[in-house]
This record gives sequence, structure tokens and C-alpha cells, in this order.
Amino acid sequence: MDLDFNQIVPYIPFVLEGIWATLQFVIVSIVVGLLLGTVLALCKITKISILRVFANVYTSIFRGTPLILQLMLIHYAVPQITGYDIPAFLSAILAFGLNSAAYVSEIIRAGIMAVDKGQIEAAEALGVPYKPMMLHIIMPQAVKNILPALMNEFITLTKESAIVSTIGYLDLMRRAQIVQADIYRAFEPLLFAGAIYWVMVFILTKIGGLVERRLRQSD
Amino acid sequence: MISATEITKVFGKNTVLKNISTTINKGEVVAIIGPSGSGKSTFLRCLNLLEEPTSGEIAIKDVKMTNKNKLEIRKNIGMVFQQFNLFPHMTVLENVTYAPRKVKNIPNDRAHEIAKELLAKVGLTDKEDAYPNRLSGGQKQRVAIARALAMEPEIMLFDEPTSALDPEMVKEVLDVMKDLANTGMTMVIVTHEMNFAKEVADRVMFLDDGVLMEEGEPEEFFNNPSTDRAQDFLSKVL
Repeated sequence: MDLDFNQIVPYIPFVLEGIWATLQFVIVSIVVGLLLGTVLALCKITKISILRVFANVYTSIFRGTPLILQLMLIHYAVPQITGYDIPAFLSAILAFGLNSAAYVSEIIRAGIMAVDKGQIEAAEALGVPYKPMMLHIIMPQAVKNILPALMNEFITLTKESAIVSTIGYLDLMRRAQIVQADIYRAFEPLLFAGAIYWVMVFILTKIGGLVERRLRQSD
Repeated sequence: MISATEITKVFGKNTVLKNISTTINKGEVVAIIGPSGSGKSTFLRCLNLLEEPTSGEIAIKDVKMTNKNKLEIRKNIGMVFQQFNLFPHMTVLENVTYAPRKVKNIPNDRAHEIAKELLAKVGLTDKEDAYPNRLSGGQKQRVAIARALAMEPEIMLFDEPTSALDPEMVKEVLDVMKDLANTGMTMVIVTHEMNFAKEVADRVMFLDDGVLMEEGEPEEFFNNPSTDRAQDFLSKVL
């Protein structure tokens, strides 16, 4: 067996910088996904059928095709059509944000639907209009159903983020591959990157557990 | 106060209410009774348009209720549910003050005053800061009554308010309702508590299979029901 971790030592700062590169677009993607996902979820539960259809078709498309294909379409096909040379960072947050929104909208929709129907009736019987009802009565209860599932979505997104390496974005994964090409060794840099991903996901999981426990306390 | 004209409600292939008309006067206490599945609750829920009748109309104080004005009119109609439907993430006091503050824009201080008065009336002053999951069923229902009253409605609807309660808690809720009836509140109550209906109601409506079979004074109805269905029903429950 031929393993030599000493060879990657000079590359450690270079790879570590990838953590920030990865986190940067993961965080922006999560925010985009969360905002758009919330809007889509509201579209799904409205009585206006055109919005409902739009949100459902959107979800169906983004969940029904590979993320890597969506990423490629945005990064390589958009410039072909528009002539705008889209930066890798923008492609990445667009693909991940739009894709995540589809999943987040389902999580939020399910979380809202799971709130006891009697809550809506009680609010309606008191004459509470739709907006304050959603804001003060339904959403605070839905959050309890939503947050744990949302944490899972963030974890998935963090791991899946590695596929932005395919469009040349200098994330953690891409940097590991560069080191691999530099030193003609695959195992050490990949294992190093893998360990970093694991730590990031581990921390997210811990945060998720903490959030869940806090929510259960108020029950 | 309330007039229901030819109310019909269809769910899919089921016609659960068939052409029900009645008028309820100010200060009247009406008990709606009948076998389960007879449409009692559906009829009650039509009165504040929580259930939209397939045909027919509801008028409150001579104003026809529509989807446009229903929120406005509901401010004047309190409702109490079988399952309480308290807001679980709010304290008792928050439950009672929420609608007055957010719907009627009553200042905080005033809303608190009203709430405290009502909670005292239903005997729950010491539970102000408790969350609903810390209360017994009877306490929850009394909070629900206080919550509805906080909007200072002229009409109160009760949808089987004691059906989900343990037997020993039924009385505390019925007592609160009795007090309320004595204040001259217009009340419509779907109930299985025949003795309560007999004692408190000014009028009994008997529904069977979506049809208003008969209505009249409790004395008359319970002693001499005119329809076979009512006789049959009463022989089973009394």
C-alpha cells in the first residue's frame, strides 16, 4: 500500500479555502431556495388555480430532472442563447437555489397542511383575515413541522454542492481534484476533502438536533 | 337576529342539509339536537358561513352574509368548537386577547382588561399565563368561550361544546353557558346534553337526515314530540 499524506501538506491551505467557497454559495443557495420555496408553498395552498398550477409544474420539473443537468443548462446553455457569459458562482446559486426551492416548497406546504384544520376555523370564526392568520396562527405552528425537514434539505444541499466542481467553480471538491492532478495521487486529497465534508455535515446535523430539541421543549 | 332561508348543503353525492329555514330572535337560546350525522353541526357552521351553503342564504341582523362581508359579520358571532381549537403556541391570555387586538384593533391595555374580566367570569384567573396543553378539557373549553366572548359578539354558536370532555368536566362548561344564557346572549347550541337543552333552551330544533323535522319549546318537544323520528330518538337518549 502506498499512502503518503505528507505530499498534500503544501496544498492544505488551498483546499481549506474551498470550505469558504463552498459555504458561500451553499448559504446563498439556501437563502434563495428558502425565499422562493416559501413563495411557491404559498402558491400551492392558495385558491387561485393558476398560481397553484404554476407552482406544481415548477416543482415537478425541478424535482423530476437531475440537478447536474439543470446546472449544465444554466451554465452552458444560457450563454449559447443569450450571449451572456455567466460566472460559475452565479450559475451555481441559480441551479442550487431554484432546485432547492422546489424541495423547500414541498416541505413548507406539507408543514402548513399538517397544522390542525381547527386552527384555521377558529381564526376564521373570530374574523381574523388571511394574512394575520397565516402569520400569527398557522406559520408559528407549521414551523415545528417544517424546521427538522428543512435541516435535512440543507444537509443534502451541502453534500450535493460538490457537483459545482463540474462547471469549474473552485469549491472544496474542485480543489481536491486539482491537487490530485498536481501530485498524481487521488486517495489523499479526496479523503481529505471527504473528511471536511463530513465535519460540515456533522456540525449541521448537530445544529438540527438542537433545533429539534428546542422545538419539542415548547410542546 | 339570524335568519336562515332554505339552506341546502351538498357534499359530493350526499345532501346533508335539505331546505332548512328558521329565524332566531335576539336573546333566544336555541338547542339543535338529533342523531349523529343528521347535519346539526353542518347547519350551525352554515350560520357563520364556515360552511358555505350550496343554496339558500343566511342573514344576520337583516344583512345577507356573503364571502365579501363574512369576516366583518363574524366579529359579531362567537363560536365554540367541540375540539376547543385554542391556539397552542399562545398563553391563555394571548388566546383571549389576540382577536380583539388584531381584528378590532383594541389597544393592548383595554384588551387585557376585557380578557381578565372574562377569565374571572369563567373562573380561570389563575391560568392566565398557562399554555393550553397545561389545562384540562373543561378549562380549555372555558378559555375558548372567553376567547369568543372577548370580541363582544351578539351571537354565540356552540358546536357540541361538551362532547370531547370527560364527564366530570361537563358541568363546569355547562354552568358557564347557563350564566351566559341568563345575560340575554343569543345562543345556538348543537348538543347531546338533553337535560341542558330542556333547562336552558327557549327552543329546540330537531334535525334528522338533513331535514328540520320539528322545532318548538323544549317542554312541548320533550314531552310530546310530534314526529315518529323524534319520538324514536328521544326514547333512545332519555
